[in-house]
Amino acid sequence: MSEQAGYVPVVGAVAEPQPAPEKSYRFSEQAIQELEEILTHYPDKKSAILPALWIAQREYDGYLPPQAIQEVADRLERPFVEVEGVATFYTMYNLRKRGRHHLEVCTCLTCAVMGAYEVVHHLEKRLGVKVGQTTSDGEFTLSEVECLNYCGAATVVQVGDKYFGNITKENVDELIETLRNSNEFTPADLANAIVRLHIPERTAKK
Amino acid sequence: MADVPMVNIKINGIALQAPQGEKVIEAARRINVDIPFFCYHPRLTMENGANCRMCLVEVATPRKNPDGSVVMAKMPKPQTACSLPVSEGMEVWTETEQVIADRRGVLEFLLINHPLDCPICDRGGECPLQNNTIHYGPPTSRFIEEKRHFPKAYPLSEYVVFDRERCIHCARCTRFTQDISGDAQLDFLFRGADMEVGTFAHTRFSSRFSGNVIELCPVGALLSRTYRFKARPWDLMTQKSICTQCSNGCNIKIDHRVSQLQRVNARVNEAVNEEWTCDRGKFGMDYVSSPDRITTPLVKRDGEFQPVTWDEINTLIIDRLQEAGAKVGGIGGTRSSNEDLYVWQKFFRQTLRVNNLDHRMGPHFRPTNSGLYARFGYHSMNNAIADLEKMKTILVFGSNLVDEQPIIYLRVRKAWRAKGAGIVEAVPRSMKTGEEANHVGEFASVRLYYRPGTEVALLHGLLNVMLYENLLSAERLGEIKNLSIVQNAVKSWAPEIAAKECGVEADAIRRAARLLATDQMAILAGETVTQHPYSEDILNALGNLAILTGNPGNINVPVTENNQQGAMDMGILPDVLPGYVGLDQPGLNTKQMLQGAVSGEIEALWISGVDLVNRFYDRDLARRALEACSFVVVTEHTLTETAQLADVVLPTQSVAERDGTFTNVERRVQRFFKAFEISPEIHPEWLIFSQLAMRMGGTAPYFSARDILREIAASVPIYQACTPRDLGDQGVRWHYPAANHTADLVGVEYRAPAAVSA
Ligand code: SF4
Ligand code: SF4
Ligand code: FES
Ligand code: FES
Repeated sequence: MSEQAGYVPVVGAVAEPQPAPEKSYRFSEQAIQELEEILTHYPDKKSAILPALWIAQREYDGYLPPQAIQEVADRLERPFVEVEGVATFYTMYNLRKRGRHHLEVCTCLTCAVMGAYEVVHHLEKRLGVKVGQTTSDGEFTLSEVECLNYCGAATVVQVGDKYFGNITKENVDELIETLRNSNEFTPADLANAIVRLHIPERTAKK
Repeated sequence: MADVPMVNIKINGIALQAPQGEKVIEAARRINVDIPFFCYHPRLTMENGANCRMCLVEVATPRKNPDGSVVMAKMPKPQTACSLPVSEGMEVWTETEQVIADRRGVLEFLLINHPLDCPICDRGGECPLQNNTIHYGPPTSRFIEEKRHFPKAYPLSEYVVFDRERCIHCARCTRFTQDISGDAQLDFLFRGADMEVGTFAHTRFSSRFSGNVIELCPVGALLSRTYRFKARPWDLMTQKSICTQCSNGCNIKIDHRVSQLQRVNARVNEAVNEEWTCDRGKFGMDYVSSPDRITTPLVKRDGEFQPVTWDEINTLIIDRLQEAGAKVGGIGGTRSSNEDLYVWQKFFRQTLRVNNLDHRMGPHFRPTNSGLYARFGYHSMNNAIADLEKMKTILVFGSNLVDEQPIIYLRVRKAWRAKGAGIVEAVPRSMKTGEEANHVGEFASVRLYYRPGTEVALLHGLLNVMLYENLLSAERLGEIKNLSIVQNAVKSWAPEIAAKECGVEADAIRRAARLLATDQMAILAGETVTQHPYSEDILNALGNLAILTGNPGNINVPVTENNQQGAMDMGILPDVLPGYVGLDQPGLNTKQMLQGAVSGEIEALWISGVDLVNRFYDRDLARRALEACSFVVVTEHTLTETAQLADVVLPTQSVAERDGTFTNVERRVQRFFKAFEISPEIHPEWLIFSQLAMRMGGTAPYFSARDILREIAASVPIYQACTPRDLGDQGVRWHYPAANHTADLVGVEYRAPAAVSA
């Protein structure tokens, strides 16, 4: 929840209405085609807001700045604030930029029992950030999440579109090193994976 | 209602009949059973509503057993009366122990995050949350955790401040922007305990109807910026009034205290504004309590205004008017009441014996009873505002509707949203609106943004499609005598050709034509038509369109100023008496009077309630005329630029200080009532004229606006039904005695725009 509530200058700090952000469309040809295909799945455009936001999250580098929301709203002919309402309702839409790798450590029951908090605390120390924060080099964002439905391999850490199981405070450093050298498992990849769920028959982007 | 089947239900044991589909809360209200509510509102859709849970009731419905016997089956959970439709045999209980406990629970929850700062809340004293809590709520709360906090008074719109802590998430404001005003700028953000109402990315709530949410909000979350902390509801007195900011004539309530207007709320009039106002009306009325109001007559001596008594000033005015003889002119009057106007023109015509009266600001000064009237028998707007809801298609032609006619705009939107009417917007390109809130283009089925000046070509193109696609009733065409005039005129205007000339798409012309070819079509023409150099041509072409589609009674060229319709009706025109009785020897129109003032043919000008220099289309002429004229009287509220140029300025009462009537755009004569007095030295205009007439011509004086209205009703046939009693507080529409709906077609030639501006 704290992730969401911190969206666009801290809500409580806004003293005056802001000027509307400058529009800049970023959807690629492929994204536009995907959106068109998704639209055929639904009776009206409003219904496609969720998948369209996933496309946007991929196109906008793993998060949804106001411009992304405007673009989705314009393409679906919906009011901006309605799309923003949807984007702020669900926690998996990133409203702020995430690190290149978003470490989502499951701290739900099973993982907690299996030492998830040790992993979290270790990571906090190792990366020098608190839960919810991003390292200054923009490499990692650390989050706690609820059950990832992979309890057999507790503790589980989701990074982008990939689950890493059986993580302990001992082997997590290794994971960090692997990720540092990897261009995969980014927030945009997760978004892409979810878009793929909506359009399964196509081959994945990249 | 007649064709809706009725069902039998029982509420608290009282049997009643209710139309199928009626909500339980509405049925209960009819038998005076009070069900508390917050989010329910009869004019807002309940699809996104029913979320406050305040209206919970217990319900049972009949269920048939397999053996055929019927038992009452109680619904396992309480139901929301605001969204539950009645059904045959339904029984409802609103005061059971369960319901009472439910309400307490609901209120305890609603108050969890509520700051309970009633003592500093504007809504305190008229707050549904406060009232319901006192009647139905728990005395204490079990919630000891910290409440959520937001800054107070976030400036949501130019006129509305938002206190998020007080919001109970009833979705009335969000539904208003979606259902009624259409800008859809408010919605819920975040979820659960973090949910809040907001605009996109903290942008300004820029709706032109933003003020309505203040009245809709059932708590003190949305508040008026201008009224904030100015008064407590129990200190206010309320008077019925009429908005003066445009011709739509919204019914309003003026809330006042210590002889000052504190705020304006809407008053229900189903025929006019339903229960809405626009921001211009709601927040623009404070001029009545402006500190700049003039409170004594002023006379200019050595270039300085000096206060004088009414006696002195009247003597001066009489001397000067007598000197001027017939070289007198009167201009303005669109802000005055019908009573003022009637006495004004009577003073001019009977006492001064001149017809130099005009309220028009140009550029066109055509004979009043020509044009639309000569052809169809009406002058401006023939349809009632509410008639628009019955239309299948509405053509908005050359009008920036939301600016010119805010409340008609809401009706057009309602016709589209609630009744499924098709809307065609045809406006010059310059009016094509982008991101700003509230415009017809948002919901129009077809938009035609034409090159300015090509209106006639566009209308020819539309008729061409209708004739060649056989969209018009053959029977009707058969009855039209001179059909060939139009056939010839539009023959060469195939949609492609018209499209090229107008800079629109041929396909759009076709689609528009198909929509417009119905006999339930209304035309709303706006200022670009009336101000157009070829406006006569355009109106003629629109007339042809109306005749051919079978809508000769549905042409509307609505007036725009407060009591402009009344000024026309009362004969503030050089060529007609009250009631449009033609004059053989018309007087001078505004332009002629001003030219006369420059050339010396007019020696005295009386300007009533109009800032002529800024309103007359030729500013330079207006200035020169006022400077040249040897005696200028201005009746005004404040020292406007025009008043500065006068020799005598007379203070007049505003709408809040007197009784009277205005006639709105749909010819509805509506009463307004005196709310307070600012100074005994400020007179209503009719009194000024009445006193002058008495002293100059020995005519009998008037004693009240009511007397004058009675005289109008007795002497002006179209106002026959407008006696003070019959007008009530919802007004009466007057009708043209014989509207001519069998008008002929006229030939219109297209003249290409002189100065091409692409
Ligand atoms: S601001 Fe007022 S009207 Fe809007 S949701 Fe909150 S309580 Fe309801
Ligand atoms: S629509 Fe016209 S009459 Fe109604 S509130 Fe607005 S300005 Fe006043
Ligand atoms: S508890 Fe961690 S995956 Fe289920
Ligand atoms: S009034 Fe019925 S749920 Fe709000």
